[in-house]
Amino acid sequence: MSYNIYRYGRKKTITIGSVILYIILTITVFICLYPFLNVLAYSLSGYNAVLSGKVTFYPIDFNLSAYKQILGRTQIWVSMRTTVLVTLMGTATSLVLTIFASYALSRNYLPGRGFFTGLILFTMYFSGGIIPTFLVVKGLGLFDTLGALFIPQAVNVFNFIVMRTFFRELPKSLEEAAKIDGASEMQVLMRVVLPLSLPIIATISLFYAVGYWNSYFDALLYIQDPDKYTLQLRLRSLLFGEELNVSGRTNLEGIGSEVMSQSLKMATVAVSTIPIIVVYPWLQKYFVKGVMIGSIKG
Amino acid sequence: METARRTRKNRRQLLRSIWNCRLLYLMLIPVLAYYIIFKYIPMYGVTIAFKNYNIFRGVLGSEWCGFDVFRKIFDSENFWRSIRNTLILNFATLLAYFPLTIILSLMLNEVSHAGFKKMSQSILYLPHFVSWVVVAGIATNLFTQQGGTVNLILRSLGADPIPFLSDNKWWIITYVICNVWKEVGWGTIIYLAALSGVDETLYEAAYLDGATKFQRLVHITLPSIKSVIVVMLILHLSKMMTIGLDAPLLLGNDKVMSVSQVISTYVYRLGIENAKFSEATAIGLFQSVVNVIILLAADKFTRMIGEEGII
Repeated sequence: MSYNIYRYGRKKTITIGSVILYIILTITVFICLYPFLNVLAYSLSGYNAVLSGKVTFYPIDFNLSAYKQILGRTQIWVSMRTTVLVTLMGTATSLVLTIFASYALSRNYLPGRGFFTGLILFTMYFSGGIIPTFLVVKGLGLFDTLGALFIPQAVNVFNFIVMRTFFRELPKSLEEAAKIDGASEMQVLMRVVLPLSLPIIATISLFYAVGYWNSYFDALLYIQDPDKYTLQLRLRSLLFGEELNVSGRTNLEGIGSEVMSQSLKMATVAVSTIPIIVVYPWLQKYFVKGVMIGSIKG
Repeated sequence: METARRTRKNRRQLLRSIWNCRLLYLMLIPVLAYYIIFKYIPMYGVTIAFKNYNIFRGVLGSEWCGFDVFRKIFDSENFWRSIRNTLILNFATLLAYFPLTIILSLMLNEVSHAGFKKMSQSILYLPHFVSWVVVAGIATNLFTQQGGTVNLILRSLGADPIPFLSDNKWWIITYVICNVWKEVGWGTIIYLAALSGVDETLYEAAYLDGATKFQRLVHITLPSIKSVIVVMLILHLSKMMTIGLDAPLLLGNDKVMSVSQVISTYVYRLGIENAKFSEATAIGLFQSVVNVIILLAADKFTRMIGEEGII
């Protein structure tokens, strides 16, 4: 075995160690990717091939009929519309609230910021729990409305911390210059701070949007009307039917719980995941930094 | 006289700086309203754990009943089982997830081919962004005993099918596999960042002194990310009583209820499905209090061993 200088010399020597490393990593990456391939293989395979258990790695009897069927259902489109609506409204609301809170509380000259920050951070460690929150949402008349899907969870403490840390670390000189020129606090935020914060805004938007897109428990809790089902809730009732719903919550029973073929199920999974996979590469370069800032505290 | 004037002056200054910050306070109002309505009012709502909750009388109007509700819960077998299951699932997941994340980070850190590294990371982070409903759907397709892909492959190799989803022990393993699959890549981010901060000259010096790759790993790499590892471990341990609802609810089924019923799903089933508000709230409160105690202890411990606190 030969040694090259560890990350020092740029010369590449191939050692047994590095070959093993690359093989293990390739296998790991493949295992990570395989469930997605499995979804594609099932959703693109013919009915009989799936039924006879031939499909494992790649589609057999390639056809798009599962996708045609699933996209032909109005249910799916209605749920898709609901989810897109909630994701858009939710992300916008969350973003505005988080920006305001983190900007205000990142100013070290704001009297009382310690108290207000503490008020927010405390909710990370202690909460009233599911039932009291449920009663508040119900009491506000949000039950069975789309508002219940984003208003009660509008601000995420983790995202707030990330953004506040970012704002705090911005160079002060630009702001001061703007203030000397007579800019108001709002103008400083809009014209100086936000343009410098596009990466973090992208990251936080991604976190919020993915959260809303994927959230299913809030819909399970607060939504009764099948016409307002989000994509995830619809997906659950299509995938698992009544099987999961052991304790029998009446509103879930008998809705879209007909037996579906595996291909159809996997096509539904694919359709509901594709939007995330499409936006993911664009935002990937931003979110690592966001995670870093957030994981230091909290 | 002098001090009185000074305090008056200070107060005037404070009032002026508050007035100067009026726009900032205006920005804070919606957020504070949000936290008060959706976090602090529910915190007051935990009082129904000490009340005989009556739907028609509401939170404020229901009668106090002291610790009756708690007595009832502590006597219930289901409650203790859900705590036991929460701890089992969390520890089992941590046992697999924690070392695997570190090993994966160390491996990724050794990769010198930038393209391969970036590609691997992209794929490894991806499952984090997939919803639990989708994960459960895929898991069912892969692990069902009859016709699940993994069992098809096992059968073609001549092995007996494995009841991944219907046998208690296998279900726990499946639960761990799904969690690890979803989060292991994402977990490497923090370690990779710590690894990229290691001083290059240390490796150089060790190399010149004739240290092997393994020796450099043990004597340079690991010690330099030790504090991150310790803090992450304490953070994870302090969350042992908390468990997400999605994974156990979606992966679980009737057959494995005795291991899949955890605190969060129990609270949900009791409170929302059976409308036992007081009892469900009491369990939630018990969990919150235990969490705070663990967290304070963990914070104290981290400070004791010379790291920055975690709160």
